[in-house]
Amino acid sequence: MDTDFDLESLVNVEQTFYDEGYQNGFSHGRIHGLIEGRALGREKGFEMWEELGFYEGFAKTWMAVLVKQGKSDERASQHIRYLLDTISHFPRVNPSASEPASEELDIPKLLRQIRSRYKVLCSSLGVRPRLQSAEVAAMEDKEEDDTRMEEDEVRTPTRGTLGSAIPVWKIDKNGMKKPVTNQDLSF
Amino acid sequence: MDSPWDENPENSTHNDIEWSRISSEFTNVGYREGITAGKEAASQEGFDAGFANVGVPIGRELGLLRGTSSVVLAFLKSSADIDEKAQMLTEAQEISSQLSRVRFSDIMPRDIEAEEHAREHLEAEGIELDMNEVIADKREVEGLEDMLANLSAYNGKSKEKHARPTIDDVQCLKDRLRLLTNRLDLGIAWS
Repeated sequence: MDTDFDLESLVNVEQTFYDEGYQNGFSHGRIHGLIEGRALGREKGFEMWEELGFYEGFAKTWMAVLVKQGKSDERASQHIRYLLDTISHFPRVNPSASEPASEELDIPKLLRQIRSRYKVLCSSLGVRPRLQSAEVAAMEDKEEDDTRMEEDEVRTPTRGTLGSAIPVWKIDKNGMKKPVTNQDLSF
Repeated sequence: MDSPWDENPENSTHNDIEWSRISSEFTNVGYREGITAGKEAASQEGFDAGFANVGVPIGRELGLLRGTSSVVLAFLKSSADIDEKAQMLTEAQEISSQLSRVRFSDIMPRDIEAEEHAREHLEAEGIELDMNEVIADKREVEGLEDMLANLSAYNGKSKEKHARPTIDDVQCLKDRLRLLTNRLDLGIAWS
């Protein structure tokens, strides 16, 4: 009986040491996770909203120009309203934090819609669209890949009710063990 | 007594050493696994906070200014009969080109908590914390750009060294742009 008792208490003691270390490690890891996540989130948020803000400023200023020129009833102003309306629906917080998974919000689709509406507006105004950086172009390629993947996934029956639960800007949990790259953040 | 150790008092030091070895081993394993778990658990929270509180508002502000200034510039170029057009055109070009130079790293606020934690590590272990790879790459490219810009500035016999713009510069550009749109009577609702 004594031997049994000793073994058990030894196991518990090991567990206690482990737990103590784990707790301390966890709070330290949390600090690092917050810091690294914050740095990435800042960059990503800036990148996306610099582009969207450009479109917004572009559209609003053109509206002012059209009003000044007395052309506010032209087709271009309709395009402006469309564009501004789509931008106003674009989330300013990462939806994975604020919305439940059931929310019907397709960020890549919305972004594509905004970009194409911007281009349509440009051509109706007869101006050249803003040059896209290589990064944005690469992102568009990636989005096309994502779209294809999504379409494939939709066809698989296992998706079921999770169909709308596409994580947006979700940091891949497995990816965090490796150095985090933008590849871990899905659009 | 019940315990076998009591009969061998000379073993107690050995036992203490063994004991502390085991304890620190388990504590260390726990610590390592705790770090990984804590990091994973918190990184999304950090991402969301940095995204919504810093990246989005600053990006949007700069984007709005750039979008507005590009239209003002185009408008001035295409309009024929405006008073003081040449002077305003120069101003619009100046604002536009200065806005295009601004980088996120020029105007983002410091992350005090991150700086403090990095300092703690530096003091405790003498090592600097690694920056995220993607961000580190971006900063490196920016550094090269600065170097080239300064190099070509010297070659052009210009004494002026290209200083990075600051948040105050951006605020100043915003004021100048607002002045310009007011002069042009473009009623823009500034956010």
